[in-house]
Amino acid sequence: MVTIYKHEIKEYRKSLLIWALCVGGMGAMCILLFSGMQESMENMAENFASMGAFSDAFGMSQLSIATLKGFYATEIGTIHALGGAMFAAVVSANMLSKEEDGHTSEFLFSLPIARGKAVMAKWLAIMSQIILFNVLCVCLYLLAILGLGEEMPVNEFVLYHFMQLLMQLELAGLCFALSAFQRKNKPGLALGLVLFLYAYDLMARILPDLSDYKFFSPFSYANAADLLGTGDIYVSAVVLGIIVLAGSVCAAHLVYRKKDLAV
Amino acid sequence: MRNVIEIDSLTKNYGKHRGVSEVSFQVEEGDIFGFLGPNGAGKSTTIRSMLGLIQFQAGSIHILGKDIQKNREDILSEIGYMPSETMFYPGMKVKDVIRMAADVRKRDCRREAEKLCERLKVDMDKKISDLSLGNRKKVGIVCAMQHRPKLFVFDEPTSGLDPLMQSEFFNLIREYVKEGATCMLSTHVLSEIKNYCKNTAIMKEGRLLCVDSVANITKTNAKRVKLLRDGRHENYIFEGNLNELMQTLAGYDIQDILIEELSLDEIFMHFYAETEVCDGYNL
Repeated sequence: MVTIYKHEIKEYRKSLLIWALCVGGMGAMCILLFSGMQESMENMAENFASMGAFSDAFGMSQLSIATLKGFYATEIGTIHALGGAMFAAVVSANMLSKEEDGHTSEFLFSLPIARGKAVMAKWLAIMSQIILFNVLCVCLYLLAILGLGEEMPVNEFVLYHFMQLLMQLELAGLCFALSAFQRKNKPGLALGLVLFLYAYDLMARILPDLSDYKFFSPFSYANAADLLGTGDIYVSAVVLGIIVLAGSVCAAHLVYRKKDLAV
Repeated sequence: MRNVIEIDSLTKNYGKHRGVSEVSFQVEEGDIFGFLGPNGAGKSTTIRSMLGLIQFQAGSIHILGKDIQKNREDILSEIGYMPSETMFYPGMKVKDVIRMAADVRKRDCRREAEKLCERLKVDMDKKISDLSLGNRKKVGIVCAMQHRPKLFVFDEPTSGLDPLMQSEFFNLIREYVKEGATCMLSTHVLSEIKNYCKNTAIMKEGRLLCVDSVANITKTNAKRVKLLRDGRHENYIFEGNLNELMQTLAGYDIQDILIEELSLDEIFMHFYAETEVCDGYNL
């Protein structure tokens, strides 16, 4: 199990670094731009806050983008949410299917390792990478905030990034389960799922008819404006997210253990 | 002598597609066992069922006395397997793949791996993506042999290997078998069966046609008859009483005749396809 875990970490280390530097770097650069834009933001903040449903969808009605907290929630929140979700989807979508797609399943599973243990090793590798990705991104954001000489409310900041981590794990779990059913790598399917759930969350924030069903999308409980604005946790969505995460990993485990491997 | 492989009534279907049906055979300890059959005969399905890579619907497989469905990990720790299409992770180096295979087995195989790499001329510092099929096969052989397993399972091991390496591969097999290992060799190369195997099984269309010693299978009184009659060349396989053949031939105006033993290829082709083998003379 340890051998497979180490192998997966090694296989994805470059990809992890590239994604973390791109998403974290982009976020950090936006933070550094804030001081230069602060004055013009003050003039625009009122307009942005009074754009009705659009302002609601992007959280600009709750927080002023003229403050670092508001700017972080609307700008960095979007970059980190989408970038992190896409990274989680890409890493997990191929984790199991790549063995059949690359014809390595015969080599790997003719070695004395239980399929269940291999699945768990691969899931642990996904979790480790997502955690590392978030640590690297947060470090870059904090360096930028320190460089700016501004302050962020610690509790809300930690809560937001914890919920982002949970959301990425839930999406990774879903894509991991999809990967167990596939014989070919389908990263497009995973990215499509992420974008659909993101769009669904935006729609649920704009359309009153959908607002009661907002919790279906994991983006609902990891929204930067909600968490940095009020600090309230969307409990029902979080509970559903944990159930979906556990269910997805169990499904991947059950399916892959009994699967006829293609060579 | 105990049986290392015992397959009883193995049946595997892929939905509507045929896999294998009612396959039963045993392989004795210390044997180099040939596994023959044309493409799609069910050889790979049988091997993959033996390794637990696919689930089968009926029958049982016992390897080294253990049931594959209950003791898969234990069994695989004593098997060295090389698939026909040997594929590894393209971004890895040869030495990393070899070490990974040893690490999963929790064994220090460095000395044996070095010996094998030297004999097979494997460059351990090369990247997998830079290797040809033959060199990937050699890495596969090292991965299958480095832990000195009790049972080797090779699926078309020599395709892509040059003649020198083929010879070295069989030298290694014979050395390990001499030390007590058993080998199952799935191949299309009939001369390999003749030269190295004691017993063989022949598969066709998902069914087992026969299991016997290579000596018994190749022992036949069938003859190939080539003759020139009325200006026409004719070519037959005859199986039956030679006196009857001579009497029948005596009634024809024959310009030239050659009666010879069947080649090994022809004997196996008799099993592979419906050939013109006759029970009795039938010109």
